[in-house]
Amino acid sequence: MVINSTNIDSFMEIYDKCLEESNFENLKFQNISKKFKSVTALKNVSFELNKGDILGYIGPNGAGKTTTIKIMVGLIKDFIGDYYINDVLFTKSVKSFINILGYHPQDAGFQAWRTVNHTLYTFGRLSGIEKEVLRERIQSILKFVELFEFKDKKIKYLSSGMVQKLRLAQALLNLPKILILDEPLSGLDPTSRFQIKSLIKFLAEKEITILFSSHILSDVEDVANKIGILNRGQILKIGTPNQLQEQFQVGKIIEIIYANHSSLCKDVKNIEEIEKVEINNNVKQFLYLRHDSDIDAVSHEILERIIQQKCHIRSFRVLRPSLENIYLKYISGDKI
Amino acid sequence: MIVLWVGMPLLSIIMHFFQPDMEDFPFSILVSIVLSTVGGTLASAMLSTSLTSEINQKVYNLFLIRPIKRYSILLSKFAAVYICLVIAIIISLSLGLLIDYFTIGELSVAFVLTLSESLAISLASIAISCSIGLLFGITISSVPVAAILSVYIGNQLSALSIIPTLFLEPLNPIIFALIIGVSIPPILIMISTILFIRKEF
Repeated sequence: MVINSTNIDSFMEIYDKCLEESNFENLKFQNISKKFKSVTALKNVSFELNKGDILGYIGPNGAGKTTTIKIMVGLIKDFIGDYYINDVLFTKSVKSFINILGYHPQDAGFQAWRTVNHTLYTFGRLSGIEKEVLRERIQSILKFVELFEFKDKKIKYLSSGMVQKLRLAQALLNLPKILILDEPLSGLDPTSRFQIKSLIKFLAEKEITILFSSHILSDVEDVANKIGILNRGQILKIGTPNQLQEQFQVGKIIEIIYANHSSLCKDVKNIEEIEKVEINNNVKQFLYLRHDSDIDAVSHEILERIIQQKCHIRSFRVLRPSLENIYLKYISGDKI
Repeated sequence: MIVLWVGMPLLSIIMHFFQPDMEDFPFSILVSIVLSTVGGTLASAMLSTSLTSEINQKVYNLFLIRPIKRYSILLSKFAAVYICLVIAIIISLSLGLLIDYFTIGELSVAFVLTLSESLAISLASIAISCSIGLLFGITISSVPVAAILSVYIGNQLSALSIIPTLFLEPLNPIIFALIIGVSIPPILIMISTILFIRKEF
């Protein structure tokens, strides 16, 4: 599936002009809590999003991701804590900020009797966009999300992938500076997932601030430059993928793959910094390093011994924990 | 909408052919009485079911994140259904009048007065039914329950625009219907609006 670059370019041209005039600097969530009757949905959630940040907001179902998002877009007004955009309290100036936000809801429906074009036109007018500007913008957005040929089709006849694209299209109508995507890839087939993910990547390259919630880690892993892990209404960890990996890397692991089992270097286990050695399939060696060891110095020493003993290796790499490892560790309640 | 504008006048014509023996009773008055009942039922059912199902499908989430007032969504919903039904009634009544003109001949002042009474009562009862539909549409989460309650209670409440005039002779039916029509619906709409504003989506 190839995404038409002309369609993307024409939409991005419009978006670029709007972003140049952007006055968005940052968004702050400070100790936000929310209760639904006796259920605590959010507890002291705090984070900050700066211009160009792409926050992957991950957590299991019911963790509080959608509640956070609904507070961000103003759908939930009754909460404890402070929420600022550009250091101004959001709740006191909702009208001035509402148009810099674009919201892709997880499961919001559309009025099924409307056509794609009619739906976007209505939302655009409600957002206060001039008729002439709106008509042109709808065309370029529909081309961007690859729905242009379905513009006169009624929503009741659209597939779930198309409806998801329409959700993204309506979120982009007012050319938002902050794009909030609540599970944008859920329930989609691989082709639609790829398409929507590609579109998000294009937007991410343009320094649009994005909050991308998902419970599918691979969805956020290659898009986000910041990851927030949420569980039971609390943020367990927030930081760049590198920071999370660094913090997680309590036991550093080096993987060596040998050309054959006879070339296996047994001498490495005598290195002081190596705590444990595991051998897999006779050709794969996992070396578990002590917590306080210097990975560069140890790598150098291992490689020297391999060369000295003339062991033939195919690969040598330091294993970094995947986002999935980090996520599972945090969610399961392990202390890092 | 088109179904309503074609269907209700069609109902008038069918009524004429199935009840031809009405002696001197003007057909347009019968049309007005029947349409106010049908229209009221339709109004409350249409509004309550569409509101309930749209709230359940989270349709309003995408409206409410835009810079519009919550009450404007409810008022436009009310206005759309009410105006749509009023147009349908006007078309049907015009058709009834036309039939009367050809069957009875020239229409008397008394006839016009009675017709005006029926029209005022119809408009008032439909306004009450619409506002009841609005109230149940936003408070009840089950579509069938919202439909049943709004049709039943809507019909009962809309009778308020006519019943007192049957027992209290000095009451002018037109004025009474208009007073009821402009007092009860705004109260119900206000309650609905407050509940809608407080609702969490």
